[in-house]
Amino acid sequence: MKKVAIIAQTKEGQLSDASQSLISFVSSFSPESILLVAVGEVKFTSVPAFKSVDVIQLSEGLWIDSVSIQPLIQSVDGYTVLGIKSIQVDNLLSLLAASSSQEMISGIQQMSYSGGKFSITKSIFSGKASLALTSETAAYFSLNRNFDFSANPAYGEQSINSVSTLTSAAGSKASILALKPITGSIPLPDAALVVGAGRGLKDPGNWTIVEDLAKALGAATACSKPVSDLNWRPHHEHVGQTGVKISPNLYIACGISGAIQHLAGVNGSRIIVVINNDPEAPFFKHADYGIVGDVNDILPRLTKKLQSH
Amino acid sequence: MKILVCISCVPDTTSKIAIDPSTSQISSQGLTFIVGPYDDYALSRAIELKESNGAEVVVLHVGGPESEALIRKCLALGADSAVRIDGNPTSSTQIASSIVSYVKQHPMDLILMGKESIDYNSGIVHGLVAGALGYTHFNPVMHLDIDGDGLKLEVEMDGGKMDVSCPLPAVLGCQEPIAEWKIPSMRGIMTARTKEIAVLPFDTSSQIQILKADIAETARKNKMIKAEEAEQLIDLLRTETNVF
Repeated sequence: MKKVAIIAQTKEGQLSDASQSLISFVSSFSPESILLVAVGEVKFTSVPAFKSVDVIQLSEGLWIDSVSIQPLIQSVDGYTVLGIKSIQVDNLLSLLAASSSQEMISGIQQMSYSGGKFSITKSIFSGKASLALTSETAAYFSLNRNFDFSANPAYGEQSINSVSTLTSAAGSKASILALKPITGSIPLPDAALVVGAGRGLKDPGNWTIVEDLAKALGAATACSKPVSDLNWRPHHEHVGQTGVKISPNLYIACGISGAIQHLAGVNGSRIIVVINNDPEAPFFKHADYGIVGDVNDILPRLTKKLQSH
Repeated sequence: MKILVCISCVPDTTSKIAIDPSTSQISSQGLTFIVGPYDDYALSRAIELKESNGAEVVVLHVGGPESEALIRKCLALGADSAVRIDGNPTSSTQIASSIVSYVKQHPMDLILMGKESIDYNSGIVHGLVAGALGYTHFNPVMHLDIDGDGLKLEVEMDGGKMDVSCPLPAVLGCQEPIAEWKIPSMRGIMTARTKEIAVLPFDTSSQIQILKADIAETARKNKMIKAEEAEQLIDLLRTETNVF
């Protein structure tokens, strides 16, 4: 493979562990050169790779049409471009792919490259099934957040060659009127630990026991669709088929029966705990650990146990 | 304003997915198909805009003749006409390039679709269409209002939301709560019978080869803990898993 580019968002100037793993992963293809396109500030000075990396830092602003992304199209021309799924990364990859008449594959769960050909397993039906496919020519790839990098060779830290800043081209009439970041809680799609709750909580006033457990764990909070439909909890906490799809290390479902639409949003979780007073709740069949009991009794006891250690 | 709403026809969310052993692909046997839930939100908002501001709404689907009943349902909801691009797409590229070919001949002010189809979960067709046409792209859009010559949108972003002013033409991926799903009226169903569904040829240009589909089986431990001993859960998570 000739040239590989990675699009990665930074948080407080740093790359996520997954983005660093992705750089190591593309190193295993032995590319001629590696370009890192950073969405956000760059404060790091080295990355784990088999050779040094050039960095382009995208300036703030909207990269939302083929006019504004023109400078980036030129920068990644001729590159194979990869990223880890997020709203912004997938939006950018798809715009770039089409603007440069290249094919893109998203939802990638496994990927290898040999003999000039990519072999890919793509997750479909919200993780209920997978699709094996190959391509010699596709140049844009989005990997799922729970892509397994564990078989990666480990590369040492390489200092980065250069950091240049790229500004989106003027000409687009779109503009940002207001930014409304979610503050004070752990963003659900990024969370390694998630506590979710459903109608079994009976009343929005009971949510403090969910929040207390989440706080003791350092987890994000989630809810089922009926709960967000009832406005007990904000829409961005709705996990399921038509809400956020999560793939944390641990998902604790409290008072959620486990409708198939909810499972579609959480079956990427590594370990699932189900707490429900109905022993017949279908969710127990999909649980690693199950407790049949009243959430109002169980959750405070778990919180207490966590706080005592 | 001319609005194109692109719809996917997908197995119902409660479907049990199985593999057809003769083709190694997902079997369509025994599945009930629905209009993709996110696409349904997009269509509902388009119909609302037609009712409030006046617009021509065209529904487009890339797929086989078996989808015509669902396309007819979209017409019953209030879309003015429909196009079916006749083929069996195997990649996002094929769907996007079929849409792009149509729009190049029938220019649109606004192209709406769901943020993703719930079968293949690619979530990139809107971006591919916008990139190929040079239209403005936002995804996933949660609120959409007409604002002068353009649109005012609320869009989800990683870690929050933003309000944006969006010029036309634009391609938007949609999600709730952009609109409530609608149910066709009897009058809508009657008038839909005579509305046109044009059938156009399909763009097959894709180099991606599908080999086979598999059902993903996640083995779960299925360990039950007695309510009296609920605290044990924390110990088991510490000793049997490395989640924290």
